[in-house]
Amino acid sequence: MIHFVLLISRQGKVRLTKWYSPYSQKERTKVIRELSGTILSRGPKLCNFVEWRGYKVVYKRYASLYFCMCIDQDDNELEVLEIIHHFVEILDRYFGSVCELDLIFNFHKAYYILDEILIAGELQESSKKTVARLIAAQDSLVEQAKEQAGTISNMIAQATK
Amino acid sequence: MDQLKMIGRELAMGSQGGFGQSKEFLDLIKSIGETRSKAEEDRIVLREIETLKTRLGNPNTPKFKLKEYLVRLLYVEMLGHDASFGYIYAVKMTHDENLLFKRTGYLAVTLFLNEDHDLIILIVNTIQKDLRSDNYLVVCAALNAACRLINEETIPAVLPQVVELLGHHKEAVRKKAVMALYRFHQRAPGSVSHLVSNFRKRLCDNDPGVMGATLCPLFDLITIDVNSYKDLVISFVNILKQVAERRLPRSYDYRHMPAPFIQIKLLKILGLLGNGDKKASEHMYTIVGDIMRKFDSTSNIGNAVLYECICCVSSIHPNPKLLETAADAISKFLKSDSHNLRYLGIDALGRLTKINPEIAEQHQLAVIDCLEDLDDTLKRKTFELLYKMTKSSNVEVIVNCMVDYMININDNHFKTEIASRCVELAEQFAPSNQWFIQTMNKVFEHAGDLVNAKVAHNLMRLIAEGFGEDDNIVDSQLRSSAVESYTRIIGEPILPSAFLQVICWVLGEYGTADGKYSASYISGKLCDVAEALSTDEIVKAYAVTALGKIYSFEIAAGRKVNLLPECESLIEELLASHSTDLQQRAYELRALIGLDAHVVANLMPMDASCEDIEIDKGLSFLDGYIQQAIENGAQPYVSESERLGMSNISNFKSQEQHEFLTHSLRFEAYELPKPSMTPQVPPVLASPTELFPVSVPYYHTEVNYSTTPVPSISSAGSSELQLRLDGVQKKWGHPSYFSPTSSTLNSDAAKIQNGSTKPDSVGSANSEARHVSYDSRKPQVEISPEKQKLAASLFGGASKSDRRQSSSSQKVPKNNSHAAYKSHVEKTATSDTGAQKTSQPPSDLLDLGETTGTSILPSLDPFKQLEGVLDQTQDPTSLNTGGFSGTDAPDIMSLYVDTSLRDQGNSTANLLSTVNDSSSLLSGFSDATNRTGHGGNTVAQLTQKLSEGPNHKDSLEKDATVRQMGVTPSGQNPNLFKDLLG
Repeated sequence: MIHFVLLISRQGKVRLTKWYSPYSQKERTKVIRELSGTILSRGPKLCNFVEWRGYKVVYKRYASLYFCMCIDQDDNELEVLEIIHHFVEILDRYFGSVCELDLIFNFHKAYYILDEILIAGELQESSKKTVARLIAAQDSLVEQAKEQAGTISNMIAQATK
Repeated sequence: MDQLKMIGRELAMGSQGGFGQSKEFLDLIKSIGETRSKAEEDRIVLREIETLKTRLGNPNTPKFKLKEYLVRLLYVEMLGHDASFGYIYAVKMTHDENLLFKRTGYLAVTLFLNEDHDLIILIVNTIQKDLRSDNYLVVCAALNAACRLINEETIPAVLPQVVELLGHHKEAVRKKAVMALYRFHQRAPGSVSHLVSNFRKRLCDNDPGVMGATLCPLFDLITIDVNSYKDLVISFVNILKQVAERRLPRSYDYRHMPAPFIQIKLLKILGLLGNGDKKASEHMYTIVGDIMRKFDSTSNIGNAVLYECICCVSSIHPNPKLLETAADAISKFLKSDSHNLRYLGIDALGRLTKINPEIAEQHQLAVIDCLEDLDDTLKRKTFELLYKMTKSSNVEVIVNCMVDYMININDNHFKTEIASRCVELAEQFAPSNQWFIQTMNKVFEHAGDLVNAKVAHNLMRLIAEGFGEDDNIVDSQLRSSAVESYTRIIGEPILPSAFLQVICWVLGEYGTADGKYSASYISGKLCDVAEALSTDEIVKAYAVTALGKIYSFEIAAGRKVNLLPECESLIEELLASHSTDLQQRAYELRALIGLDAHVVANLMPMDASCEDIEIDKGLSFLDGYIQQAIENGAQPYVSESERLGMSNISNFKSQEQHEFLTHSLRFEAYELPKPSMTPQVPPVLASPTELFPVSVPYYHTEVNYSTTPVPSISSAGSSELQLRLDGVQKKWGHPSYFSPTSSTLNSDAAKIQNGSTKPDSVGSANSEARHVSYDSRKPQVEISPEKQKLAASLFGGASKSDRRQSSSSQKVPKNNSHAAYKSHVEKTATSDTGAQKTSQPPSDLLDLGETTGTSILPSLDPFKQLEGVLDQTQDPTSLNTGGFSGTDAPDIMSLYVDTSLRDQGNSTANLLSTVNDSSSLLSGFSDATNRTGHGGNTVAQLTQKLSEGPNHKDSLEKDATVRQMGVTPSGQNPNLFKDLLG
């Protein structure tokens, strides 16, 4: 099971966090600090895995961004590495040559995409096409909703209520 | 008016912001991005929090602004600040009718709240409502939230709807419903145990995504209870076969592998089902063998599947042929340059050595290389392997390696683990007492405070009980060598507390036992320890008790005792100690010294720490005293459970009715109030109970109601006027008293079954012989002598005797099973062909009839061909290394990104032109594809793919927007614009 997903920039800034196991806010900060310390200091040729507190953290660097996932002791590390890549490819397809800035400014969209790939700490969908279709359906519905909410009359009604 | 102005501004800004966000938000992110210190960042965030607090609290804030504020709040919390003040607004937003806001609300609550948060109860109702929505996307959003937020108490509220959704017409909903049910099962297995059969049903779902999702819960269920799922072995094997034969839709392919993630999950399940079950395993051999043969070693995912195959092979009933293939694969892993693969190789080796210890020997040098590697992860994994292959012959080398490593690391978690492993190995395989004590000393010295207190107690027990079953001489040797080394070590300035405790205890018990040291010498040492550690009360207590033991042994032996002056002063000091424990020990010590030899010998017998002490738990020796007291008019003792039961006794009847109602929350709507004529029976009691299909065992049933007559406070008449508190108190009130499980105090200390730990004499001649044989095998590689030595001591040694045994005993079964395997293969082959003829029609577990048609044409993959063309333009050497070294195997996408990247600043334009100039390429393609007869539509597809794929124009545009906003690539963030997949 994946316990959490972290996206950290090379400067140690957090770009996205998703927790599938309960961690308090305090623990979260501690985990992030601890892990970014270990992972950012690792050399480029080393394993993409780090053993940590009885778990394993699989990470991969894309440009300046580190994608990390924490998994159980008996999970398949290479598979998780590919899950990360799967996620990045879907992001890439969605944003069109995704770069770190996309994720900084649209982190909530990245969350929606992640929610279609992972659920309850497991991979729920391994077909890129299915994920893309679902996200597109959501987006179009949201567009409709936006139009509905964005009409002037609606806004005035809201503002004057 | 202000509001309208703001709206106007918003509208004007709508197109300006870029990234679809408001200017304000972009500014926030930008300013945080440009901070140079954590303090500066904190300042900005705190200001932002203040802004959000006032804006969110303002009742006039329009909804679309609220939504943005929530996203900003998410951002603030992501940066590690407390945003709890805004949680309630997120909850409120989930109630909104508009999907745009609802979705943001759900996203925010799933990120903000943990399952045990108090606000969850406010969301349950919304989730309930949304699960019934006509819009499947709303249902999906609600299921996502349910997975994250529904806890044990709220499961009953949504369970019926989730189960209903398992049959929804949209596969996305079914899939999420399966996962939600799985999550509920994880949270509270009892609450959904009656629904487990649903997972079996969903396994046959038409949609591969749903089937794949079902494997997660099934894996968990099978882990818990293998036997009730043995009937599914054949189904799983069939599914795996179909997946491997590319019967799934193309969209599940990943790097040209058919649905590898599903394959991995299936292999995991098969590994569980086949563990120790020969019959079940036999079904799996063919398909696992096929997958291992066909695997693709150039891609990461191929290796992931292969690794999972090895895990499966090592878990199921062993099959020599598969084991051989697995061993080959492992040696490929170990020879690889990629650290990842070597890591997996070491891990896999550890799994296989359990079945066949010889395998590790073939790779001894690779293992040693990994052990000496700079990569800490790899090193640790190798230590794990060594731990698994420790024998009495190599224990010294391995444990010494581990201890050396342990001394040099800072990671406490791993230090603890490795220390307890050292202790375990030393206990199991120690070749000599001396070595054992020395090793333990080292471990305790460096990790004493990290190891579990149990380990220290274990060590004491081990020294007390000894290794040998009956051999008293060996035991006393062990003790005296322990005492000797401890008297030496005790002088060290800083020792961990746990270690000092052990030292004090051992010196107290056995310090004077062999007559080598005088009582005054030992007691002097103990006093020093107690003096030096003025703050550590536990060690002090150990020291004082040890002193007591030393002196009482002396008295019992009839010698005259002279208290040392420092000992006197220590006792004086402790008599006035703040710690009552220390005080008591000091008083006891003083009392002991004053007694005569006979009494002392009874109180503190020599070497009696292993004897059982009988305790009269019923305190029967006090019976006479109690009898007397009662006769004199004292009240008899009333136990706590009786005292508690007293208050309930008056309402004993309604108690039982309450029991199943009070323990869980109710989520159904309130009933309409009815004018009731019987106020004594509250309507709650009469409500139907079907809403609670699961009855959780109620803990109050333990209370003993049949009590002895007690003075009842509540008389029948007054009870009607009192508040009805019965049943209320159960959830939050005083916990009921559990009668403690009668723990037998007779310490049935499990004797350690060490067996004889005679060291297999590791002759140097023996290991040298191994050298020679190894060298002759691999003469071309130059290996440093130290490495060889290490290898020999790790892998050589006992293997000679072990090996002869095993090889002679293995030869016969090997042939047998080979033959058996062959016949099995033939059988399965024939049955396969038989099955295949019939299995195309509906007997297929996955009804993927439509897709089978297209999957017959795998050789015509247009992408492969395109790749082939493009590959030629690339540097061939970079391709060779590309497969392993973390960069991706050549595929279309990475090529694209490559090109768009290079385009930004350098000169490999010819590559670009090949892509951009796709018309010529495509015409070539259409030729190729036309020849095979599928021309038109594949080309169309291809062109479409090309245009929709990532494009360097996109990134240029993005670059422009960002520059407009004022984010420019500086020395600090040169990479922000870089494509991630580059």
